[in-house]
Parts: sequence; C-alpha cells; structure tokens
Amino acid sequence: MKKLVMMLLLIAIMVNNAWAQKEIVFAVDATWPPMEFVDAGKNIIGYSIEYMKAAGEAADFKPVFKNVAWDGIFAGLATGKYDAICSSVSITDERKKNMDFSAPYFKVRQALIVPKKSQAKSLADLKGQKVGGQIGTTGYFAIKAADGIEAKSYDEVGLAIEDLNVGRLAAVVCDDPVAANYALNQYKDTLKIAAIIETGTVESYGIAVRKGNQETLDLVNKGIAAVIASGKDKELQQKWIGQ
Amino acid sequence: MSEKKVIIDVGDGAAIPRPEDKGLLSAWWLSFVGTLAVLAYLLIFHPDPYLRLLKFLPDGIVVTFQVTIASICLALILGLLAGLGRISRNRIVNLVASTYVEIIRGIPLLVQLFYIYFALGRIVRVPDMVAAIIALGFCYGAYMGEVFRAGIMSIDNGQTEASLSLGFNRSQTMRYVILPQAWRTILPPVGNEFIALLKDTSLVSIIAVSDILRRGREFASESFLYFETYTLIAIIYLLITLILSKFLSNVEQRLSHYERR
Repeated sequence: MKKLVMMLLLIAIMVNNAWAQKEIVFAVDATWPPMEFVDAGKNIIGYSIEYMKAAGEAADFKPVFKNVAWDGIFAGLATGKYDAICSSVSITDERKKNMDFSAPYFKVRQALIVPKKSQAKSLADLKGQKVGGQIGTTGYFAIKAADGIEAKSYDEVGLAIEDLNVGRLAAVVCDDPVAANYALNQYKDTLKIAAIIETGTVESYGIAVRKGNQETLDLVNKGIAAVIASGKDKELQQKWIGQ
Repeated sequence: MSEKKVIIDVGDGAAIPRPEDKGLLSAWWLSFVGTLAVLAYLLIFHPDPYLRLLKFLPDGIVVTFQVTIASICLALILGLLAGLGRISRNRIVNLVASTYVEIIRGIPLLVQLFYIYFALGRIVRVPDMVAAIIALGFCYGAYMGEVFRAGIMSIDNGQTEASLSLGFNRSQTMRYVILPQAWRTILPPVGNEFIALLKDTSLVSIIAVSDILRRGREFASESFLYFETYTLIAIIYLLITLILSKFLSNVEQRLSHYERR
C-alpha cells in the first residue's frame, strides 16, 4: 500500500513537471517585513510573496522563492542563478539600464503613524505639534511642506519612532511598509497607522528580470495585471499593511 | 640631562589670543579677517545658494546659543561643587565628587547624549533641549571640576594659614580669600572649556535638537548642496569661536590688572 502511494506520488510529480506550469525562481532577500520576511517556521512570507503566488495562479506559472542576501542579489540575476528578483526593488532609471522591470506591483506611500489613543486622521489635525521623520526622505519633506507643524528630523527612522513611542512626538511620517513593520509588530501595543498621505513623488516596486528575458517578463506582467484587475492587491494591502 | 622642568600647555579649545598679541599680523586677525572676507565673497558673488542658506540658519544659531549658555551655567555650578568637593576633607563629599568626575570623564559626550535622551527616555521623558543641556552641563561640569580644583590648589597655602590665623573659618577663607584669587587662574582654562562646549553643541543635533548643524543638514539633504552648506556652517562656527576667544582674551587682560607692575 505504502509503495503504491509513493509510486503515485512520484508519477504525479513527474507528470506535473512534464506538462505543467512553467516554474519561475524568484530571489528574495527575506529581511524586509511586511513585504518579504521569514516567519517563525522559516517560511518566506509577506505581501510580495502572496502577491506573486496570486499572480502565478492567474498567469499559470509556479513561483519558487529563494532566499538570497541583498548584496549580490543583482549579480546573481545577471549570472542566471534565478529568473527574477522579488524583493522590494524600486524601479529606477539607473537599474533599468542593467535589467528589465515588470509593471509596478506596489506603490510606496507615506504613512502617518500616531499613538494608539490619538484622534488625528491627517497632518492637518496636528497643527502646532511636533511631527518627526527621517532626514532627507519623502516623509520628512511632506511634514515640512505641511502648514503649522513643527518638523523634527532624525538620523534614523527608528529614533523618530522611539521618540513617538515615549511621547515626545505627536506623529511620524515614513514609507508605509516601514510604518507597517513598526506599527503592526514591534510597537503594536502603543502605535497605529492613522492615515496614508499623498505626496507628489511616486516610487514603485517592480519585479526585476534579466535583460531580454521576455518570456518571464510577459508571464509576470500578465499575472500582475490579473491581480490588479481582480482587486486582490487591495486585499493584500489591507492584510499586510493595514491601510 | 638637564633638570629644567618643561611645561607643555595644551588645551582642547580654541587658542585664546594672548593679551600681548596686539599686532595686525597675529593669527587671530588673519583668521578673523580671512573668514570675514570669504563670507563676504560668497554672499556677494554667489548669493544663491549662500544667501538663501543664511536665511535658513538663524533659528539654528539661536538654539546653539541657548544650549551653550544654559549648559555653561549648569557646568559652572557643577564644576565649582565638584572642584570644592574634590579638595574637601570630608571623606564622603570627596568620594562623591571624585566618582562623579571619574564616571563622566570616562564616557564620550555623544554616548551621554544618546543615553539621557533615548535610554533614559523610557523612564523619564526629558524634552530634547533639556536633555541636551543636562548632558553638556554634566559633562563639562566634570571637566571644569578639575580646572577649579587646580585653580584653588594653585593659591599658596600661606594665604589659608594667614586667613585662618586672622579668625576666618574655612568657608569664609574659601569665599573671601582663596576664590577671588583663584578666579584669575581659573578663567583662561574655563574660557577654553566655554569655547570647546560651544563647538560640542553640534553633537546635540543627533538628538534632533534643531541647532545650526541640524538645520544645515536639513537644507543639504533637500538641496544636495553639501559643499555650500558645510562651508557656510564651518564659517559660522569659526566666526563665533573667534569672536568669543577675543572677548575672553580681553576679560583675562582686565583680570590680570593687579599682576602687572
């Protein structure tokens, strides 16, 4: 009986390999919650991971995730160790020279983090109060541009969050994945994301593939388009980022 | 080997010009006029971005001065107490003062700032300015304690003996006889500490106090004009310390009035 099951399983795997979906190996630097990270059971999980799984279902490919350290992740793509990178890679003109990018699957937005008991729903509610951000970031520029707010700049966003946590700031503005990481993990008992702020600059994450690898790129793009069309991306955003 | 004793006099602050350096060709005049000339050149021939920058910085300069003055007051009080404590004959007072000096002098100021603001922030919520003033005041209080101690001990023991024999008690002796004389010896090194403290206030930008340096960094991170920003910031610090050192040199000269024959 046992043997039979084994045989069947083996056949199933072989058949699967023979026909079925194309396999795409994604390199992931799984140290970036909530976008891609490793859970207690050492599984790679996160927003991007679920997104690509959904894209795979829609466009009929099988995503395989391979944990790779960030430095060297682009070199590995060039030498063909994997087909694509799914690791919160921002689409920039500089990178476009060396690799091809899929359609954006995530737009980075600025999140307003406030203490749990705060009533504030936007920067306008915080007039006359201190709001912090990391120096030189989009988030800090948004605070500075807002009317009647005392902008405080920090060297690291973590220091600003800590200052918010002990009550010296009324709010902090930063990239929403980062915000979600703080507000939904480390500081989940004291902080929350109050709102998403619209800013002029748009930064997007895309899937990077080796230059000229049109087959993979088409599959991924097809999947991303299907996920957006079905509204699944909104659902994932709600699940992993909370807003 | 000769028996001659060599005294090496090195301070960590800006050099205070000696009163006899009066000529137009002294280092102080060269630096001062040179800095002013560079500043004037930049403002006249490159008003953009330097004039824009100069308009961006004033509240930072005010903050730097506020922090400097408040912490120098705290440091003078703590320094006097520590100095008196270290020469006290009361064992416990002596031990407390010495321990304070040892501990504070052994921890970098930057670490003290982080500690008071972020580490202790979990327990007591100190506002950023207060944290900056406490850290700088305590740190420089320990340095000045040593200066006060050395100044007091430089007064000849005969002065104490004479004053005690005239019926003063120990605290009266300290107040009316020793300290007024020691002050003249103490002032130059205290002036040096003053200038060193002013420069060290640039460290408080790390705890998000909006001093000159933090304002400059904010400007640079937005405009990417790193060269222009830090050039102007260096010029501003240099001008302030040059003016301060000249001022202290004049005060010193006044106080040494009685020593000149």
